[in-house]
Amino acid sequence: MGVSCGKQGKLTITDDDVIEKSNLSRQFLFRDWNIGQAKSTVAASAAALINPHLRIEALQNRVGSQTENVFDDTFWENLTAVVNALDNVNARLYVDQRCLYFQKPLLESGTLGAKCNTQMVIPHLTENYGASRDPPEKQAPMCTVHSFPHNIDHCLTWARSEFEGLVEKTPAEVNAYLSNPVEYINAMNKAGDAQSRDTLEHVLECLEKEKCDTFQDCITWARLRFEDYFADRVKQLIFTFPEEASTSTGAPFWSAPKRFPHPLQFSVVDPSHLNFVMAASILRAETFGISVPEWVKHPKTMAEAVGKVIVPEFQPREDVKIETDEKATTLSSASVDDAAVINELIRKLEQCRKKLPPGFRMMPIQFEKDDDTNYHMDLIAGLANMRARNYSIPEVDKLKAKFIAGRIIPAIATSTAMATGLVCLELYKVLDGGHKVEDYRNTFANLALPLFSMAEPVPPKVIKHQDLSWTVWDRWILKNNPTLKELLQWLKYKGLDAYSISHGSCLLYNSMFPRHRDRMDRKVVDLVREVAKVELPAYRHHFDVVVACEDDEGNDVDIPPVSIYFS
Amino acid sequence: MVGEELTEQETALYDRQIRVWGADAQRRLSKSHILVYGMKGTITEFCKNIVLAGVGSLTLVDDRAVTEEALSANFLMPPDENVCSGKTLAELCRDSLNEFNPMVRVSVEKGDLTSFGVEFFDKFDVVVISFCSLATKKLINERCRKLSKRVSFYTVDCRDCCGEIFVDLQKYNYAMKRLDETTECELQYPSFQEAISVPWRSLPRKVSKLYFAMRVIERFEEAEGRKPGEICIEDLPAVLKLKKEICEAQSLNESHIPNALLERLVTGTREFPPVCAIIGGILGQEVIKAISGKGDPLKNFFFFDSVDGKGIIEDISDPTPKG
Repeated sequence: MGVSCGKQGKLTITDDDVIEKSNLSRQFLFRDWNIGQAKSTVAASAAALINPHLRIEALQNRVGSQTENVFDDTFWENLTAVVNALDNVNARLYVDQRCLYFQKPLLESGTLGAKCNTQMVIPHLTENYGASRDPPEKQAPMCTVHSFPHNIDHCLTWARSEFEGLVEKTPAEVNAYLSNPVEYINAMNKAGDAQSRDTLEHVLECLEKEKCDTFQDCITWARLRFEDYFADRVKQLIFTFPEEASTSTGAPFWSAPKRFPHPLQFSVVDPSHLNFVMAASILRAETFGISVPEWVKHPKTMAEAVGKVIVPEFQPREDVKIETDEKATTLSSASVDDAAVINELIRKLEQCRKKLPPGFRMMPIQFEKDDDTNYHMDLIAGLANMRARNYSIPEVDKLKAKFIAGRIIPAIATSTAMATGLVCLELYKVLDGGHKVEDYRNTFANLALPLFSMAEPVPPKVIKHQDLSWTVWDRWILKNNPTLKELLQWLKYKGLDAYSISHGSCLLYNSMFPRHRDRMDRKVVDLVREVAKVELPAYRHHFDVVVACEDDEGNDVDIPPVSIYFS
Repeated sequence: MVGEELTEQETALYDRQIRVWGADAQRRLSKSHILVYGMKGTITEFCKNIVLAGVGSLTLVDDRAVTEEALSANFLMPPDENVCSGKTLAELCRDSLNEFNPMVRVSVEKGDLTSFGVEFFDKFDVVVISFCSLATKKLINERCRKLSKRVSFYTVDCRDCCGEIFVDLQKYNYAMKRLDETTECELQYPSFQEAISVPWRSLPRKVSKLYFAMRVIERFEEAEGRKPGEICIEDLPAVLKLKKEICEAQSLNESHIPNALLERLVTGTREFPPVCAIIGGILGQEVIKAISGKGDPLKNFFFFDSVDGKGIIEDISDPTPKG
């Protein structure tokens, strides 16, 4: 197409990811020998080979609030257009906000398998991306995942969560405590809540009762985890809620969709039981820096070692509370003596710490779904499938488990190519300039059906006041470093009575406070620096304030943000 | 053959697409053989897509030498002229396509496609031709239909900033999935000849104008003995005259086919890169569906025009069953 191939042209691409094998099935600028290299740099080189006139710069930054020193005001102001190729909604919302703010066209698109969609966001012409949101993905209630699963997705969600807790979060907490015990303890005391209590209990377990020094310790830990998850907890659950139990209204407790569980009886002869213990012990060993002996991979020797573990008998208790309310969002149940319990836990922790070798640390493991040799998916699939077995839910193979637990997005080259072509067509209109909203096209297509649906973009919502009107695109701009009085006057001319002005969460002026009248002759930028105590970075030439206004009749008017340029 | 497992390499490479159409479909793809004629921008996009998808083999036919026009819309062409010299379009594309996926056998067949006999086409599961004359389209389609096994046949043509795809799957059985239900379906596709013989006045009023316009251009190029795309603005009066004649013969009001549209097709003979990507993507998925048996295939024409930005499916077939 020749975009950005002229002397004054420039294409800036950015991506913080590196190339993986599974990318090659559609990301055709990459080859096998590029695996492991940065996506943006390789893409830039490959594109330049196709058209040597292309002026391209490849960066490796995420676009977000953390990189506003890279993608600063000057960067955004110099852009002609922005083309998205993102894989998550939050990043899209951020870019949308930036494009809104800097009044830049945004060409948005996405694919999901054979489906693709494109959306044009044109300043002042169309609504912005964030104006219409998909309904949030329905997440299963916490108690369903924790105690009453009825499909494999619930089991996998639980498995993923347990995995992260066991091999990543708890070891990370242990390290946080050991690196800075005083600070850590203070923070726990300050919070003093049920969640802190639970966290401390896990940290203590790791360093005391369940600390592993040898590989056999890891096997013990893994075998006992099996017993806890798939036998003891189920026995407790069916003790608290027996099969014939009824709810407060007299209906059967275990009616659909709830499935009545059965505890598993561990057996070294069952390969799935053995594989679970193997994967769990290997990963446990990794977190403690213990090397894994070769014989672990052999079922016979492994079975022998597992057989040596002494498993205490379990007695269900009367006083255990199990959450059944679907609206509950936390598992930790607060109790009156949390603070006291926390104190006791801290005391024990400090004792443990003194006995540890100096410099002792654990090694948190981050979930890596694509490495088939790391046992991550083995453990997650194992957790999910054993749980499924408890609840008589059909189990899944590792591939399917990876799909669901890894939150992998299926992708193919064809829908990707189609979306790209459609976006490029729209790019011509953007660069041409002067097109009406009816000229642009948003598309939804599903190549599997096949279905093609094209429509004009929706215009933005218009707000009116007297003879003024504005949309989400508008920004009222004041230059030449105004004073507070000048700002208020400027708004008065528009028939608006500003009674409150703030920057971020800080109030700069409110007509109710007599003291604030002293600020009238102050430059607004100085108020931001002194009152809001905000340090404006050197690359900043302006800042924004939100102004609450009333009209002549005392009605509130929702005005656009006001940008004040001070340099 | 279907029982053969995918290799570890294939599973790793094709992971994201196996999640779309399943391992079984991926296996079928890896055993399929595709023949392609006419290495221009859209076909290039199509080839890229099916090579990435992992078909068994891809055979390219195009003995033409590289031209400047080819470079403008064909991203498989290396810009370095020295590399290009002495090689045909097909050979250059083959070299590039091999790099996209070494697991696919990409080869070149030299010679005049119309001179190849029926046995030649028996080697393939899918035949896709582009920028062919009316006579060639009919001929190749018939050769495919003469075989006892089904050879799926597609034509694709992009001119100016619009494009047309034609699909002939002959008698096609597949499982149609709607929500939780699966129903066995059978579709009967007409040949290209049969489709374009459907009387124009019996077609619904809203049928895409592009269908009619393409048929006029097709007939014109054939009557004048031109190669496809060998047409220019000076031909417009003759084209409009032909349009009038055809419309009269078909009892269709000639204003039904806008002159402006014909003018675009006469002057804009080069392909347009974004349209190549769109059409190449859609065509790629259609071929993947036909090979894998998964998904509802397009029947039987698809049109896209950048001017209105619409993608339209038309079913142009004779509803009356044949005796």
